[in-house]
This record gives sequence, C-alpha cells and structure tokens, in this order.
Amino acid sequence: MHATAAVPTTADPPLPNTEAAARVLQIRFTGSGSEYFRIWAINLLLILLSCGLYLPFAKMRRIRYLYANTLIDGEALAFHGDAWRMFRGFVLLAVLLGASTFAETFSPAAALPAFVLLCAVWPALWRASMQFRLGNTSWRGLRFGFEGSLAGAYLAHLPVYIPAVVLTALVPDGQGPSSDPGVNSQFWFWMTLGMLCLMAPWSTALLKRYQHQGYRIAGERSGILLRTRSVYFIGFKMVVVGLAMAVFATLAAIVLGGLLALVATGKIDAKGNGHYYGLAFIGLLYLFGAGGLLPYYAARIQNLVWGNTRSASLRLHSELRGLTRLNMMNWLLIVLTLGLYRPFAVMAVTRLRLHAVRIDSSTDPATWKTVRAGSHADASGDVAGDFFGMDVGL
Amino acid sequence: MSALPSLTAHWFDGQQGQAQPVEVRLEDGQLHFGGQQLPLSRVQWPERLRHGRRLMVLQGGGVLSFPDAAAFDAWADATGHRPGLIERWQLSWQLALIALALVTAMFAAGWRWGLPALSDRLVDRIPLSAEQPIGDQVMAMVDKQWLRPSQLSDAEQQAWRERFGRMLASARASGMAVPEHWQLHFRRTSATLGPNAFALPGGQMCVTDELIELLKDEPDAVLTILAHEAGHVQHRHGMRTGIRAGVVAAAAAIWLGDYSSFLSGLPVLLATNGYRRDHEREADAFAREAARRGGVDPARMAIFFERIREKYGDSAESPLAISFSSHPADSERIAFFKAEGPVAPKN
Repeated sequence: MHATAAVPTTADPPLPNTEAAARVLQIRFTGSGSEYFRIWAINLLLILLSCGLYLPFAKMRRIRYLYANTLIDGEALAFHGDAWRMFRGFVLLAVLLGASTFAETFSPAAALPAFVLLCAVWPALWRASMQFRLGNTSWRGLRFGFEGSLAGAYLAHLPVYIPAVVLTALVPDGQGPSSDPGVNSQFWFWMTLGMLCLMAPWSTALLKRYQHQGYRIAGERSGILLRTRSVYFIGFKMVVVGLAMAVFATLAAIVLGGLLALVATGKIDAKGNGHYYGLAFIGLLYLFGAGGLLPYYAARIQNLVWGNTRSASLRLHSELRGLTRLNMMNWLLIVLTLGLYRPFAVMAVTRLRLHAVRIDSSTDPATWKTVRAGSHADASGDVAGDFFGMDVGL
Repeated sequence: MSALPSLTAHWFDGQQGQAQPVEVRLEDGQLHFGGQQLPLSRVQWPERLRHGRRLMVLQGGGVLSFPDAAAFDAWADATGHRPGLIERWQLSWQLALIALALVTAMFAAGWRWGLPALSDRLVDRIPLSAEQPIGDQVMAMVDKQWLRPSQLSDAEQQAWRERFGRMLASARASGMAVPEHWQLHFRRTSATLGPNAFALPGGQMCVTDELIELLKDEPDAVLTILAHEAGHVQHRHGMRTGIRAGVVAAAAAIWLGDYSSFLSGLPVLLATNGYRRDHEREADAFAREAARRGGVDPARMAIFFERIREKYGDSAESPLAISFSSHPADSERIAFFKAEGPVAPKN
C-alpha cells in the first residue's frame, strides 16, 4: 500500500537547485507520553475542581507542550496566545453548543432553529479559530497567519449544507415511497447518509483547498494544487478497504462471539447466544470502522494535501504510513485501560504524523522577514479571530 | 559570587528569521539580553519539563530560544526562579497519580451520587407545565415518523383507559402517589417496533396495537405494563435521563475528547444505560405496587415475557431487545413481579 500512489505528480518542473541556501527543513517531534500523561492528569483535576473554567488554561498548557516539542529545522514553535482571550471564546462556544444540545434534548421544535443557527455561524467560527491559532503561532519569531476570506469559508462548506437544506425543505414528514412511516424515516436517513458519503470527497477537497491556500509565514503564502478527482480516488480506495475490513470483522466476530458465548454460558451454540455474536460484531465494526477506516482516510488525505502544498520557496512532502495500524492499537489500549492510555496515544499519533512531513526550502529561513500586513483587506476577520480565540482543530 | 549568571540564547526579534546570539541574565526582576531589557511580567517563562525546547515568549512578538534545556534549568535555579505549583506537580509521577486518583474518585462519586441528586433536584424545580409541551412535541414527532393510527375501535380504547384509570384511582385511594395527569395513546406501529409501550415527558403514554394483540386475553399483564409506564411518568424519568445524558457527554468529552469523538461516545452509552436500568427497576417497583393496590395481578407479567420469547426466540433477534436493551434481565423481572412486595396491602 503505497501512500504516495494517489498523489498526482506536480505539473511544474522541480525548481533548479542553484542556490546554496536550498535545503531540507526536517520536522522532529520530541513529546513523551509519560510527560503528557502527567500534564493531562493535572489538567483534568483542575478542570473538575474549577467546574470547567480551567479548560482554556489547560488547552494553553497542552498547546505549549506540543509546540515546545515540535522542532522544525531545529527551532521549536512558540505559542503567543493569551489564555484569557481563549477563555472568552471558550465561553461563547460552550453557550452555543450547550444551547443547541439542550434544545435538541428537550424541545424537538427548537432543535431545528438552534441547529440552523449553529450551521449559519459555523464557517465563520471555523475561520476565526484558524486565524487565532495560526496568528498566535510563531517559528523563528516569525508569525504564521491565515488569510482565507470569510466568503471562501462559507463557499467551502456548501457541499455539506446543500443536501441538508434540500432534504429538510423537500421531505415532507413521514412521506416517502412506503406507506409505513417507520420505513420512510429510515429511507430518508439512508438517503441522507448516502448523499453525504457521495459528497464527502468533494467537501474534503473544498475545505482543504480553502485551508491550504490561506496559510502564511513571513513572505511565504501557501498554495495548493489539489484535484477533486484525486480525493474521490482516495474515497474509492477507502470503500474497497472498508469492504475488506467488513469481511474480516465478520469472520473475527464469529470467532470472538463464539469465545464470548463459551466463556459466559459454556456453549458455542449460536442459538440463544446470538447477542454475544452481535456484541462482538458491533465492537469489531466500531474498531475497524471508526478506529481503522477513518485514520486510513486521514492518512491518505494528509499525504495528498500536504504533498501538494507549496509556497514561493517551500515545497512540502508527506509520506505517512502505518496510521491505521497505530490507531487500532491505540483504540484497543485505550479501551483496555479505561482511557488511561489516551495521552500516550495522542503523542504516538502526533509523532507519526509530523515525522511523515518533510519541507524543501529553496531559501534560507534566516533571511525571511515579516511582511507588514498593510494591504490586509479584511481586518474585521482578524478582530473576530482575536475575540473568539478558540480552536476547533486544524 | 559577584557576577550574575548568564546564559546563551538565540534571540528572534519577531521581524526577521535570523537568530541573534545573545547572553541572557536576570537582574532586579528585569531580563537583560542583547542590549534590551524587559520586566519579567512581560515574559512568558517556559515550563520545566523533561522534553522540549525552552522558549521565552516576549511581549511584543519576540522569542528567546535556549538550545540547551539542562543548562537553562540550572541557570533558572541559579537566578532563584522557582517553578510554579502546577509545574512542580507535573514533574512528579506521584503527584500526577494522586491527581488522577482524585479525578477518578470524583468521576465515580459524581456518577453514583452527584449527578442523580443534581438531576433530581433540577427536575423537581421544572414545573409540570413546562414538561407538557416537550412531551407533546416528541409525541408529534414519533407519530409522524414511526406510528400509524390504531386499528382498535374507540370503544376498545376507551375501555382500556377506564380500566387503567380505575387501577390508578384505587392505588391513589390506598395512599399511593400516582400521576395526576396522563394521556394514553393507542397506535399501530411498523415492524421495527412491534409489541411495545413507552412513556414521554408530560404524562404521555403510548401502547401499540401489537402489544394489545399479544396480550388481549391477559388484561392484568397489559395493565401492569401500563403501570410500569405510569411509573416512568410519576418519577419523571424522561427529564432525568435528558439531563444526565447531557452531563455524562460533557464529562466523557473531557476524559477522551481530544483523542476521538467517536471513542468518547462509548462511555456515554454505557453510563446512560446504567442509569436507565435503575429507572426501569424504579418503574417496575411502581408497577408492582400500583397493580397490587389496584386489584391487578402483576405476576401475570410472566406471560408477557413468555410470549415475547415464543414470538422472537431469544432476546438477541427480537426488536424488543434492541429498544429494551437497557432493561434488567427478563428472568430477574419475572421473579420480581411474582415476589411478594414489601407493602402488599390487604383490602
């Protein structure tokens, strides 16, 4: 399984290697699971004791640890964020999510408007969080930045929203091909799921394109050459791998279910012991699906997306392998240790993902200079990013 | 020692990527380096950890990077800079494990006592009138998506309502607290639900034609099942579950959240199922007592479980098992309904 197989070779020829400054910027991650475990344990206690108010400060500690251990060409990343600003964003997001969850639980009629509101502000929040996170990250004292436009953020989310809108507007309650409303609601559920799956690669392509065209450090502004059909090809491979996994999970469930039944009742007989087989099957499906298939997709996407990202003097490469296996191991260990393995899992995944990336630079970063963002058209976005101060994961 | 200890560092001024080698020293609460000076209050001091680069983030955008972590720590000690409380905590395995033990104890206590007490108190403060519209909305939604009108005649439905009302009335007359407001709906369902009954917030109860069909010669079993649903109504389990699920989801997100949101769904499922099982026991207790006080024989419930088993085989294949997966085991419940209750009244 060659991860790079799906990466289309770049159109323009490689830059002539004329300058002596040209070199490879190696990424190294030195974080340790045992240390992160201790940070996590103490963060948890303080979060609980403060009834959640410590969350942004815990996040800041976490980010600073990850950054101090991410060395690019021998220099670490630095985080300039202010925990109190992050606190404001955290409160806003908590209120928003809390309100929509509450509405969902207690009032089905209010759930739809709450969900629509969340959908309406989501792209703006997403962009603001990237602006905040990158704007507060520096390398060699040079700040990163995110310069994607607000309209672009909404456009990138279109494939997620259009089918949802069409379905809610067009599907009358309980109507459908069958006279049984129960069958109809299942029909529409599977229809929606199917449509979302079909559009997922397109959506990934739009989102990644938007993100990777907006990064900046010093005079380097990132760009990406990403073909939607390459993402669809990865999606297709994922379906094939998924089918193979489903077959394997079924076989494994028969063995595991038999063992469970034997241990619990002393009989392997499938009759009357069906729920042991069901339990084993659901558990394995969960492990392979969410624990194995999603990381498979994530790894291929990382290779495709980062491998095609470049700026005036930078070219990135990503050769990520083994994420699926690592992640399934992590899941097993997390479940077996009731969550205690989690910090070790985070470190292992971060190391694997970062070590897979290599940066070729045709100039010496020591010569880079901050560009004054004087011609910045959309200043309100920066203010919003600064105000929200949140980070919903890059 | 007259000379103040100093340390070499790379200074990045925030304008250019070129590192400037500087000597850093601390004097009167001021950081001196490369001809600059900055009060400590404007410096983000790096945390002492075994791994990772020591970086000082300077207000105004610059960064001081110390390539040698061990040298930095020795220098920090020599200048008299003491690591903060949390920093020292993070360095010690012992303290970290104590913190984790405390967290575990708090989670366990919160799940066992704190959350149930909190949700009970909260639910007691929610007036019934606020619960009503919630139940109405859920019923309307379930109606649209899962149910069809009943094929029982109005007279049959009315007869069941009267029987049920009589049972509750005599239970109330004997001093038992029973729901004041309730509505009993009859619906036909799709194959996905089968013989079933459920209760919603605000005193809405619904029973399926399929259940009545299954037990039409066993009215006592039907009435006991309805009494079970009335138990959910009386204890307002719908509201309680809603509040508990929300809090458990938040706790699980804190525990596992930044690793995988899929994985954090697992404890939510397990924890809320645990609560639900308690609710089912509570509703069973209510049903047994209400039935006895209302002149209905709860032991007939055994027939219901028998017929379900006949119809669907063992629990795994039955759609009932899916919707009732959080119920206690059948045999346990049969024994419960057959056993003499602690307060069986004799009229």
